[in-house]
Amino acid sequence: MKLVDFRNLLGFSMLLRVFLIVYGEWQDTHMEVRYTDVDYMVFSDAAALMASGESPYKRTTYRYAPLLAFLLIPNSIFHRSWGKFLFSASDLLVGLFIRIILKQRKVPEKICTYSVMVWLLNPFTFTIGTRGNCEPIVCAMILWIIISLMRGNLSQAAFWYGLVVHFRVYPIIYALPIILVLDSQIFRSGQKPPLEDWNTGQAKTPTSNTENKIFHLNLLTALKSLFSRERIRFGLISGGVFLACNAVSFYFYGHEFLHEALLYHLTRTDPRHNFSIYFYHIYLHYERQFSAVEKLISFLPQFTVQFALVFSFSQDLVFCIFLQTVAFVAFNKVITAQYFVWFYCLLPLILPWSRMKLKWEGLLCIILWIGAQTHWLLWGYMLEFKGYNVFLQLWIASLVFLAANTFVLVKIIQRHRFSPLFKRYESSAVKNVTKLE
Amino acid sequence: MGSANSYKCSISGAGTRPETDSEEELPKQMGIQRPRSVTPLIFICFAISCLDSTSSAQIGTNYGDSDEILNSDHIPASFLCISDQYIMQSYSTTHTSLEDSEFRNFLFLQECSRKDTDIVVPAISLLQQHRNITGEGSHRTLHTSIKLLVQSDSHLRELVIVERLPLGVFADPFELQNLKQRRAFRDVSVFGDTNLELPSFRSNRSVVEIHVDISSRDYENGEITLKLPLHARYQPLEESGYSRVEFGEPDLFLCSSHVQNRQREQRKCMVLSIGGLKTETRSVVWEIPAGIRDHTEYVSAITFAAAVLSAFSILVASVLSSKVESCKNSKKS
Repeated sequence: MKLVDFRNLLGFSMLLRVFLIVYGEWQDTHMEVRYTDVDYMVFSDAAALMASGESPYKRTTYRYAPLLAFLLIPNSIFHRSWGKFLFSASDLLVGLFIRIILKQRKVPEKICTYSVMVWLLNPFTFTIGTRGNCEPIVCAMILWIIISLMRGNLSQAAFWYGLVVHFRVYPIIYALPIILVLDSQIFRSGQKPPLEDWNTGQAKTPTSNTENKIFHLNLLTALKSLFSRERIRFGLISGGVFLACNAVSFYFYGHEFLHEALLYHLTRTDPRHNFSIYFYHIYLHYERQFSAVEKLISFLPQFTVQFALVFSFSQDLVFCIFLQTVAFVAFNKVITAQYFVWFYCLLPLILPWSRMKLKWEGLLCIILWIGAQTHWLLWGYMLEFKGYNVFLQLWIASLVFLAANTFVLVKIIQRHRFSPLFKRYESSAVKNVTKLE
Repeated sequence: MGSANSYKCSISGAGTRPETDSEEELPKQMGIQRPRSVTPLIFICFAISCLDSTSSAQIGTNYGDSDEILNSDHIPASFLCISDQYIMQSYSTTHTSLEDSEFRNFLFLQECSRKDTDIVVPAISLLQQHRNITGEGSHRTLHTSIKLLVQSDSHLRELVIVERLPLGVFADPFELQNLKQRRAFRDVSVFGDTNLELPSFRSNRSVVEIHVDISSRDYENGEITLKLPLHARYQPLEESGYSRVEFGEPDLFLCSSHVQNRQREQRKCMVLSIGGLKTETRSVVWEIPAGIRDHTEYVSAITFAAAVLSAFSILVASVLSSKVESCKNSKKS
């Protein structure tokens, strides 16, 4: 079968999204069940408030940066679907960025196209933007950060990183691996860093030592090189952008902005049922406050996993942030389906380096993961739409979902061909390489 | 002069939750129906003898039903003069409780002075026929049918229904605004605790005030049907696993139309009913699933054990994978 080329794929994806947006408008008007996400109504209302000079936080449950409401002001001026077109365009941009990243790493065309299809033709992906969810914008920004780093545009990467953390707090978890990959032995600002391409490691003959060594971080070395010029520059620019955006938002919207857009996400504990294993535990304890010790203990598994992944895989930056995102979502106190987009956009970037075959290991992972979700949704339906007390069963379903996430994550780790994003510079790499014993 | 109002309420299902996509369409069943006959055959007895504490008000008598008398407590004898668009608007800013006594006291303070009241009490017949809650799960609809006959030349053309919701349920203001845009009712607003996310033990009660135009062409035979979509909050922990939420009766007023842009002009409202006697047969009840306290210890223990086990699995896989890669590369070199 002749593989579809990228232009046709992108064109088809564009038409599909336009159709879904138009269909969504029709369904909203003519059917009881709306196609549009409730969150989109929240964004639009907030944008309308902003357009009339008021605070977007007057809209209950608007918990995003003012920037999002600003982007959707045309909803009130042109057409209410403006935001959906914007989000879907971001979604297509993610597909383009996936291709750029893979092409820069010299992934063969066929594998490239299959990987892009995993994003563009994923039903979850093309419905999320067309229903009015803003996550594709975040995904596009993160991929652009990766592209900027790959091109050696450190300042640009730092700018977008500061902005994306202001927009959506969760990318803060990528700070450590990004900082670690800005090792002066690897990354020199002003120069395009040499990339480790897909062909490295595919070849049957061993390549040179300096190109093929995987270096675990020697703690002492890491500490010494921690304050390299590149790292300080990245930290200052991204931190500056983050603080500037927050300062401007605070100037206009005060404590409402701080609480709703930032603190809420950092302290959120929702007793209502969701995919997280913690929801029932939180509900059963909601009548009393958790102590500081209890909060710390509950955060330990997340903390441990994040650090383990960073220190094991930071050099393979894309793989590292993919694993971090899956783990972050799986161990979070609240899990909603929209969070899955955060790692869906990174999955195509790691597939070319996976030894996992679709038949049958890949299919097993897909079936287990989707099956665990479906199992949870069935119990959720019984609780929410039938009114049966199935809290215990629903909580067990959350445990099963965590088990499925863990299984899939472990399998992906085991089947991944570790490939650092950047090559070390040979001249200094030989002197400073630390081998594992 | 004191025959009963019968309230029958029905709640129909498939209400919408703020986080879901379903939505209730009410317009067809929400209309007011115009009386066929203009002859004022039935008169409500506003037997309010005096304004002293021993007076009792009987409003909305109905000769057709044998239900017991509602609302035997104090009610303002004359018209209320309301400056705001909503009766509950100023109440919600000055009061935190939604108890009957406090609400009645508030209404007394809204009474018009004699010089402001230059209208005649129209002939009104009020009969509330049906009240029920229908649907399943966390999203249901409170269904109320009211039969109201008003003297045709009366200037009081707006029926105001004040639904003081019990703790444990809430109405989504945005959903109601959407229904208003679909002309399900003339006006609607929610007062009190409008937080959509908090559980009931961290929230307060809320009030929904609905305005229905009884002069519209949808009003036939004096019958008004209201469907109010409601959503359940997370309930306090219960041994049985279910929490019981009981609904009282709505408060009913008949008002003149609100004239916008003339803020000094006050609306005249006549009290038809404040609350009502709740009996076993008339009480509308919604049983909502609640967490079971006995689950607490082992749910917490197993949750943490599962988190630790998963974290450990990922940690081991990460470390082993790193070691395997480094061994491979050591061999190659």
